[in-house]
Amino acid sequence: MKTSFDVIVIGAGVAGLSTAMQLAKRGQSVVVLEREQLGNGSTGRAAGLLGQLRGTAESTRMLMDGVEIVLDLEKQADVEIYVQTGSLRIAETPERAQEIADLVTMGNSIGFDIEHLTQTEVAAKLPYMKTDDLLDACYCSTDGHLQPAELVSAYIKVGRKHGVQYHTNCAVTNVIITGGKATGVETEAGQFHAPVIVNTAGPWSYLVAGMTDTVLPTAAICHHYLTTRPDDSIKVDRFSPAVRNRHLRLYTRPESDGLIVGMYGEEATEYDMESLPRDFDMSAMKARLDDILVATLVYNANQRFPWITERTAMTMTTGIMTFTPDGKPFCGKLPDIEGLFYGAGFCGHGIVQSPTIGVIMADLILEGETQYDIAAIEADRYFDMPELQTRADIKAAAYQMHAGYYGNIEGSKQ
Amino acid sequence: MKTLVITERDASDIRLGSLTAIGFAQSLPEAVVETLCVADVCGENPTADAHAAVIAAAVRQHSYELVVAAATTYAKDVVGRASGLCGGSMASDVIGHRFDGERLLLDRPMFAGAVTATVTLNGSARFITVRASAYPPANRSSMDYLRPLDTASLAVDFSAVPAAQWKNLALRTSHRPDVTEAKIVVSGGRAFKSGEDFERLVGGLADGLGGAAGSSRSLVDAGITPNDLQIGQTGKIVAPDIYIALGISGAVQHLAGMKNSKTIIAVNTDPDAPIFAVADFGLVGDVYEVVPQLIAELNG
Amino acid sequence: MKILVTCKRVPDTDQKIRVKEDGSGIDDSNLAYVLNPFDAIAVEEALRIREEDDTDDEIQIVVVGVGVTDYEAELRTALAMGADRAILVENMTLMDPWTVANTIAAVVERELPDLVLMGKQAVDDDANQTGQFLAALLQWPQATFASKIEFGGLGLQVARETDQGIEEIEVPLPAVVTADLRLNEPRYASLPSILKARKKEIEIIPHTDLQIDVAAQLEVLSMKSEISQRSCIMLEDVNSLMEIISP
Repeated sequence: MKTSFDVIVIGAGVAGLSTAMQLAKRGQSVVVLEREQLGNGSTGRAAGLLGQLRGTAESTRMLMDGVEIVLDLEKQADVEIYVQTGSLRIAETPERAQEIADLVTMGNSIGFDIEHLTQTEVAAKLPYMKTDDLLDACYCSTDGHLQPAELVSAYIKVGRKHGVQYHTNCAVTNVIITGGKATGVETEAGQFHAPVIVNTAGPWSYLVAGMTDTVLPTAAICHHYLTTRPDDSIKVDRFSPAVRNRHLRLYTRPESDGLIVGMYGEEATEYDMESLPRDFDMSAMKARLDDILVATLVYNANQRFPWITERTAMTMTTGIMTFTPDGKPFCGKLPDIEGLFYGAGFCGHGIVQSPTIGVIMADLILEGETQYDIAAIEADRYFDMPELQTRADIKAAAYQMHAGYYGNIEGSKQ
Repeated sequence: MKTLVITERDASDIRLGSLTAIGFAQSLPEAVVETLCVADVCGENPTADAHAAVIAAAVRQHSYELVVAAATTYAKDVVGRASGLCGGSMASDVIGHRFDGERLLLDRPMFAGAVTATVTLNGSARFITVRASAYPPANRSSMDYLRPLDTASLAVDFSAVPAAQWKNLALRTSHRPDVTEAKIVVSGGRAFKSGEDFERLVGGLADGLGGAAGSSRSLVDAGITPNDLQIGQTGKIVAPDIYIALGISGAVQHLAGMKNSKTIIAVNTDPDAPIFAVADFGLVGDVYEVVPQLIAELNG
Repeated sequence: MKILVTCKRVPDTDQKIRVKEDGSGIDDSNLAYVLNPFDAIAVEEALRIREEDDTDDEIQIVVVGVGVTDYEAELRTALAMGADRAILVENMTLMDPWTVANTIAAVVERELPDLVLMGKQAVDDDANQTGQFLAALLQWPQATFASKIEFGGLGLQVARETDQGIEEIEVPLPAVVTADLRLNEPRYASLPSILKARKKEIEIIPHTDLQIDVAAQLEVLSMKSEISQRSCIMLEDVNSLMEIISP
């Protein structure tokens, strides 16, 4: 078994798989070490909604570039990843209507295809949604979702083609430091060596960081979404647009003739990853029947989709997201140790960010810089900040960010 | 050990499971084995309440030390109640046994099969149901030494039996079992190009094995299979004895629906398909070539 | 009408269950515990019976757990789903299907329900005995592995899942009915129902109060793990595959 590589990637979620693929395409020998199965963590539970228009032109550009990468992956791996359903944002209060107006203005200023829709137009697109209370809505025809399973299989297929090796059921137990530099890792299958190590361990990222006594301000937060079973009386078309309803904290998209509805709630169920068993299987997570956040999800979903109640036939998908104090990931190096890179904390948007993040990580690792403006996502932006050194402080900050994720009015002074 | 084996029969003959129970009983030291097919006594109104009363009466009158049956739905229902009438000393789904001196130690599965527990029973009349797949059936010649219990002398107080009424049995015909309950599931993925192909190949193999047919999400999305066949994260969760994944790549969303299956077999043209990482047996091949051969062998 | 539903607290068996080094039991450190899925189906069925009842009869749903204090979490789940009241029989020293059935029988004698609904088995011991033991002790009719329950005929008309097919029987009330997987799909508790449940009572009865003088009949001596890492054996050809699927 080969144990020396140019790069070791820890965690086979979309961030790690994308990074490994990009590095391998540039001639690097890469091994991906995964504690469970490839794509079994947050990646395996994700809904994959793609909303390209973000708060800044740069982040929008990154997502748009990501779509281009995905289209190419589709050809290389012969899978359908990108389902272009278009997306809607809807507003039922003046503040949320202002959010939409600002978004359309911003989008148009960078040449992005986004337009206001009337209530009638929205109702025509989504006959199964309550629309009579809407004050405004906007529509992006080029949005949709990325299918996580197909994206993962494409990363793996193309990665393999360029020589990436993958080890599953192979948890990293320690990071080996020699003279201030990371030189390898210890795993359940023995040691691996490389001058570059990438921490793309998702919810476990702060534990992996802890192996070098490094503080990484990520926190694990539980997330649920429901998927309704097909119902002949509610026709959900495969290309019905995704919807973001920030006032109710909901996002929705079509799935297998039913509807996915998820929620970024005000309350969060926190997870201390260290308190989970070694062979904790995220793909087997399930919500308790009396989980109050699930009940809140159904309650809110009912307000926008009156046919959804606790009696509706549905499956509940439960998983763990990795949040950060400002809602942005940590990408790049930290000042404390050479050779160690981070790509974690995607706050529930890992699937769609992963294609471009892989490119950025490969740029940073091989060239020390990237053409993208990554000031907002630099790994060291909180390094040594006194108020973000303890787990308690980090968790509190991350939970507050999570509470405001859909709760905050964008563009307001909150 | 004086043992009563509760047997079942179909229209013509004793059921295979019952032969296994007899084999188990006969293998015990100093075995004195008698059989009882309760349907012969209570043919008209075969309720669990009535059948259990008959068994309990037999146990009391003839002082059996051990009552054995194959672990079928019938036995779980009837023998369970009979044990309750006789002191509640029972071990179900036994898959192995040994003796520790005089003590009979029984192995049985727990935690959905993740654990095998070794247990022992107290009490005078002990009831055991055995998994038919775990023991060989008694051979026909040893059956000649069996005595059916003389039921004419059984005194059963039917007045104490609740007045339940058996109404009907809708026999399962060639209709496939439900995917969540079948012991064998044959599942098809992206490799299948049409509904007809799916029915012919996946359905055909399922029928040949007496199992259920399942599907990955991609076929449901493509309109090739109906939604109620979908196995996976947003579909059904199954844990059959055998799961055959045909032309399924093995994305974790699908695995979430079947990875607790006892034995997983995969057929795929891609030797790197992730399904092979979680399978027990794999064959690299084209399902359009492999499956017709399997069906022909099963039917031929 | 009063319906009594049994609720068992069990580990989530979808997560990996490990056995302790010495084989004395499972390693329950950091295990997630849930309401036994089959009991959740029983609770759901009781709720549906109440919702679909078109008589003026008031239907009371009481849930009972037999075990230790931790059980309260699972009884709270049932209350949140819509049960009215919960009983926890606490501090049983040795639990097996026989002692549990006798304990529930004692609760039945106190509560006098018209119907006892239980899961057909618990996913920890997978015994599938307790319901049958209870019916025998009470001398009540039993309807096990129910996939459909309706009122009518003698009392209840029950469709049962059997190896041969669906069996239909009628049982007079009071009766013990055990739920099979396809009886229904349990609901997630609604928000109003969860909030309402916080005020509902869990009555705690020390086991000794029930004065049940029976000994456990089944003793678990040791356990071993059956979890093995699968390592795929790649087969040569179709014939080898044939050997495996149809030996």
